[in-house]
Amino acid sequence: MLTLLKSWVRPDAFQAVLTERSGRWYNACLRITRDADLAADAVQDALLKAWDRRDDFRGEAALDSWIHRIALNAAIDLTRRRKRRAEEELEDDRFEAAPSESPESEYAQEALGRDLGTALQRLSTMERQVFLLKHIEGWRLDEIAESLQTTINGVKHALFRAVRKLRVDLHVWRGES
Amino acid sequence: MISDDDLLLYYYRDGLDATERARIGAALAEQPELARRLHALVARLDATTALPEVPVPAATQQRWHAALAAATSERRVESPRRGFFAQPKWQAFAAAAAVAVIALVFGVQKLVTPPVSTPGPELVMSHASAYENGLKVHLASTERRLASLNEATPEERARLVETIIGQNRIYALAAERAGEPELARVLRAFTPILESVADGRGQTAGSVAQLGFELRVMQARLKADAATPAKTL
Repeated sequence: MLTLLKSWVRPDAFQAVLTERSGRWYNACLRITRDADLAADAVQDALLKAWDRRDDFRGEAALDSWIHRIALNAAIDLTRRRKRRAEEELEDDRFEAAPSESPESEYAQEALGRDLGTALQRLSTMERQVFLLKHIEGWRLDEIAESLQTTINGVKHALFRAVRKLRVDLHVWRGES
Repeated sequence: MISDDDLLLYYYRDGLDATERARIGAALAEQPELARRLHALVARLDATTALPEVPVPAATQQRWHAALAAATSERRVESPRRGFFAQPKWQAFAAAAAVAVIALVFGVQKLVTPPVSTPGPELVMSHASAYENGLKVHLASTERRLASLNEATPEERARLVETIIGQNRIYALAAERAGEPELARVLRAFTPILESVADGRGQTAGSVAQLGFELRVMQARLKADAATPAKTL
């Protein structure tokens, strides 16, 4: 069985899944990062990490889903690093445009849909990422907490805040509040 | 009283213990108004999941395929090594040496090369100059950080490496925008090596050797380009 799995995770399997599914990975990363360059970097990082750790792939999920998850974690990590850099090394920011003003963020807006994209702009990074990971990607709360390096309660409260804000802009629960 | 937050967790089937789930389930069965609220929530939230997808730029697709092809071919020729070559200190030294070579190639060479008058728009020259200066500073600080890795604690080492990787990414993006895809690729190639230095993993000797080879190729190319007055990073 192990031989079968290992033989399946060959370079051509990676190239095939890259051709077929990279659009999905890219769009998911774009929603998380709101930056086309970071999203592209996240997918590339995920591909290389997945290839490097292919022996860890047990086949419980599809190869596509496995790389998708790694890509999302990479996107979160890149977003975190960018934020930290922006805070610590302002003088190095001349190569980066402000996310809310860049063409990349407009591109990301397309990936979210105008309505949801606009609504998500009102959320903090944490709230937006938690909502996307929970509601769109279907991650468990503990998985989100681990990836975002926070507690489950922190994730819950970010999710509650996100949904409350989205209720206003998207008229969720219209007539209920 | 069952809050909207509780309903949300009930909908996600996550974050509630069995008792809480049973309590909300029973309440939903008994209270039509509560069930209506949950139904409205589900309908509205599910409406947000139909997201459009933007196409992946063709150049990005090509970059991914090239990166994967390079990684898979690299691993085919890589042979595991033991002993000295598997030690983190050797990896740190190799990474430091590699960055030092880049610094020599892209930084020092720029400093010692006599200024050459290059035809071209002023705007482009100004942008290139800021980019080059930034790159020189980055490479110099990277050299210093790598030199201090061996004395650093594991936590400090991880933090230093993370900083270098993060800054490499900025300059890789800048290099691509400056029309230097090769430099961008080399800067990105440091990431897995640096990560292995940070977490003490072995078996990166093949990657380092490959990187060393690529640097030598780049050096040779730059030497050839040095004869061309219009060469700009």
